[in-house]
Amino acid sequence: MSTAAPTFIPAEEQIPALGEQQPAGLRRLLLDHPRILVGLLLLAILAVVALLAPWISPHNPIAVDADNARLPPGAGHLLGTDELGRDVLSRVFWGGRISLPVAFVAVGVGLVAGGLTGVLAGYRGGVTDLLLMRLVDAILAFPALILAIALVAALGPSLRNAMIAIGIVQIPVYARLTRAQVLQLKSLDFVTAARALGASPARIIGRHMLPNLLNPLIVQVSLSAAFGMLAEATLSFLGLSAPPPTPDWGFMISTGQSFLVNGDWWMAAGPGAAICLAVFGFNWLGDSLRDALDPRLHR
Amino acid sequence: MLEYIVRRLGLMVPTAFLVTVGVFLLIHLTPGDPATVILAESYTPEAAAQIHKDLGLDRPLPQQYALYLGRLLHGDLGRSVRNKLPVTQAIGERFPATLELGIAALLWSLLIAIPMGTLAALRRGRVLDVVASGLTVAGISVPNFVVGIMLILFFGLVLRVLPVGGFTALTESVPDNLSRLVMPAIALGTFGAASNMRFTRSSMIEVLNQDYIRTARAKGAGWWRVVNRHALKNALIPVVTIVGLQVGGILEGALVTETVFSWPGVGKLAVESIFAKDFPVVQGIVLMAALSFMLANLLVDLVYAWLDPRISYS
Amino acid sequence: MRRVGILVAAVLFLGACGGAGGTGGTTNGAPKTGGTLKVAQETEINSLDPNTSGLVVEREIYYNMYDSLLGIDAKLNFVPELATRWTYTDDRTLVLTLRKDVKFQDGTDFNADAVKFNLERYMTSTDPAAARKSDLASVQSVEVQDPATAVLHLKRPDATLLAALVDRAGMILSPTAIKQLGANLAQTPTGAGSGPFEFVEWKRDDHLTLKRNANYWRKDRAGHALPYLDQLVYRPITDLNATLASLKTSDVDMARVVAGKDVDAVKADPNLVYRNTPSLGYGGFYLNRSAPPFNDPAKAKAVALAVDRAQILKNVLFNVGVVSYGPITAASWAFDPAEKIYDKPDPEKAKATATGFSFTLKTANTQDQIQIGQLIQAQLAKAGITVNLLPEDFGKLTLETRVQHQFQASLAGWSGRIDPDGNMYAFFHTGGSFNDGLYSNPQVDQLLEQGRATTDQAKRKPLYQEAQRIIVGDAAYVFTTDPATPQITSRKVQGFTLIPDGINRLAEVWKS
Repeated sequence: MSTAAPTFIPAEEQIPALGEQQPAGLRRLLLDHPRILVGLLLLAILAVVALLAPWISPHNPIAVDADNARLPPGAGHLLGTDELGRDVLSRVFWGGRISLPVAFVAVGVGLVAGGLTGVLAGYRGGVTDLLLMRLVDAILAFPALILAIALVAALGPSLRNAMIAIGIVQIPVYARLTRAQVLQLKSLDFVTAARALGASPARIIGRHMLPNLLNPLIVQVSLSAAFGMLAEATLSFLGLSAPPPTPDWGFMISTGQSFLVNGDWWMAAGPGAAICLAVFGFNWLGDSLRDALDPRLHR
Repeated sequence: MLEYIVRRLGLMVPTAFLVTVGVFLLIHLTPGDPATVILAESYTPEAAAQIHKDLGLDRPLPQQYALYLGRLLHGDLGRSVRNKLPVTQAIGERFPATLELGIAALLWSLLIAIPMGTLAALRRGRVLDVVASGLTVAGISVPNFVVGIMLILFFGLVLRVLPVGGFTALTESVPDNLSRLVMPAIALGTFGAASNMRFTRSSMIEVLNQDYIRTARAKGAGWWRVVNRHALKNALIPVVTIVGLQVGGILEGALVTETVFSWPGVGKLAVESIFAKDFPVVQGIVLMAALSFMLANLLVDLVYAWLDPRISYS
Repeated sequence: MRRVGILVAAVLFLGACGGAGGTGGTTNGAPKTGGTLKVAQETEINSLDPNTSGLVVEREIYYNMYDSLLGIDAKLNFVPELATRWTYTDDRTLVLTLRKDVKFQDGTDFNADAVKFNLERYMTSTDPAAARKSDLASVQSVEVQDPATAVLHLKRPDATLLAALVDRAGMILSPTAIKQLGANLAQTPTGAGSGPFEFVEWKRDDHLTLKRNANYWRKDRAGHALPYLDQLVYRPITDLNATLASLKTSDVDMARVVAGKDVDAVKADPNLVYRNTPSLGYGGFYLNRSAPPFNDPAKAKAVALAVDRAQILKNVLFNVGVVSYGPITAASWAFDPAEKIYDKPDPEKAKATATGFSFTLKTANTQDQIQIGQLIQAQLAKAGITVNLLPEDFGKLTLETRVQHQFQASLAGWSGRIDPDGNMYAFFHTGGSFNDGLYSNPQVDQLLEQGRATTDQAKRKPLYQEAQRIIVGDAAYVFTTDPATPQITSRKVQGFTLIPDGINRLAEVWKS
């Protein structure tokens, strides 16, 4: 089976590298592929802004100032104020402290759970493989977003549950990716040799397989961080993530949307631009990493 | 091949079973009581108890599941707790709108993706390619509700050329239907356009690197002729399959897009039903989505195997 | 999506059931016959059978299709509808004198047998969603004295019964149609009513069409046949922005709900007419008196003292409505303009009463409710009280607050009822069905019971006003704002009278 079901990210349109391969030196990689640098830089800027939000925000992001509600962008408020008079720019800065970690935690959940499943299934084979992969198939059979929404609705809307839900829907991608890699690696000479020499499974996986899994996983992590951010934005757009007054980009957009008809475009514009930039950063990084790390594209 | 099909179908059965268990548990572990929704302001504990009894909610969970599965095998998905319609009918009534939106979005995405992807592949590494690949990454990075909001702002509120939402049946007024279709279709199709374009590009590059293309080129055939006569058809094989998968997953994007544009399709029904605790409808939609997703997967794999003899299946 | 949450919640929060001082009709010239009026509804309906109706939007259609025994006028006085006279011969016997000239749309005669059949259907229905039983709980039996006289024998005196007969519990449908249609009555009630319009078709989530009832019994003042319009088309538009856009583009001629933020834009639009009427309902939040922190009355009072009602009115309701001082709103005959126990916010006094505690405020998962929650959060912070907000799905919220009483505070308003009893008894009487906060005060219980058993309005008024003073003073519920019921029509709509319960009756409306 070569084709996996689609996810938000057409990540598996190319099954990446095979065979014994040293991870390229970071410097070499960046020099040869300046596009990677662009993505890293963009994400670094967003991360720094989010980290420094408490110091660089001009206002308290949750301080209600009812008399100054819905002010257009101007000197006091560079991106205007929202329906309760809170500074949109400050909320956008602080919003990064929600959205970026969500993406990483969710990806972490998917990576660890999915990766372990895939390695186990691929390495053990047989009944273990069959059972685990049916479970993965069952998760995969649900459209990711519908599953995430249903999960959050079931668990109750909160930031933690949003992260769990987004993590769970990412399990299949990682499980299938690692399983496919492990299966292919298992039959390769250097692994067979290590086995013949009596290396333990842990050692084989750790020493010989993990390094080879790294490249495709790095690409996938970057792409699924993008998916994670999109999914979190969608959940919070639907009111299924962090509770107010938490500055959360998706929720700010959905509030802002209803004020568009009143001409108050700035309430949605700030967080909208932020979410697009962040997702773009991850996708760009993933895309350029794939270009760089996939030898099939270097003919 | 036949053996492969049988094996795949065999594997689908336990997966489908797990899916029904998943759907059932997901909904039944959800806190919230459908009786509160049904009764609204007329709520009394007695009336709620009666509703629980009627819906079988007072029985143990395994028994409820057995009943659910039994009815399911007879094609009975239950009735909506909100308006008592059979779930199949509730979904059926909404399905044409989603289908129309999905087809329009798909057409829009292919209209963009195939020419742009082909051009980018032909101009690989040049400015056009770089711009195109930047656009594709941007296209998959903008949440579809943001695309929707931007369209509403621009075409609906600034230019005032398109209605900002709602739906008119095709049978009622074709122009009105189409004018309402434009924005949601673009919003829904943008992600697909970007990913299909990327896919077309990489597939085209691969094909263009094949020996027979090089041979054709070496014989002096022009690029256009090569692309048109030889490459495009082969390059589109994987694209067709990914499009097939997109059709299987149509509900996914429709969820938010339909909500933003008040488009009365299955996606909007799903969201409404989740919030209204309409257990049977949510179960029905999620089940339908999952099964069509699985089926699309299978079909795509089969088509792929049939089209591309290099792939062997065990 | 949250938008759906809005719908469900809108039914309770926005869907008001009354008001006062409706504006008179805007009439230019002689009424014109014919035409189609398109009406936006804020949600799709579930049922066309009054027996199983739980939504305000459903009443909107019912009142144009079915007739009730009693009507109300702009001042909330009862007026004749299917019954021309209603008399209590004693406090347990209500005699209704009925019209003799009315036929249902399917040709069946309206008479006392029909009244008995309908009321008994409501009272004895075994449908799990049957919602009229409690409205008619005081009725022991219905007696047909003669074809034009029905007598209701009561188990106990019930001052709230007449108001119930104005609403769905008093709607009389054709017994023939009910028997023939069975369960389909809720979907396709063809010919079932006696009202100005009759059912044509209902395509769910798309439209519902009613056509003119050529044999409608009412005439206008000039003796002209009613209704004027040929057809009514209801379209469910769940998004308020889309509703507004549809009004502006003349996709619809009339809508009942508009976001507060859009009121100014609507008023400024030369093609639209905006009206509103004070609602009978109120907004605010429950405090759970059975658990910490609000088992301590001082803490409840501190919260009531610190809330800035005017700010909520201004920032979330955009001044559409008034500040709320209690369960009896300005639209009611029992209103007490002197009662303003918690008027201006007083964080200092609140601090002196109780401070330094925190609680979780549960709200429905809708934009306006969340905004109100955030304002309350900021207001109470000034008194040293920490509020954690927890927006929840409406169904879950209702379950946790109304059934399980698992909450500390919950933001949930009431759409209001014509009789003050409907705004108080279930909420503040010990063990009342909507007494989410488990408030209990024997004095209040006694006053509310007396109010129910007294039929003389003048005697009831002081009872309810005193009960209100105790309830508000105790901070049994923190009243914040009384919403207004808005009404927007296209300039073309003529002859429209906004009835104070906020329900549009369209028999006398015409389009220029």
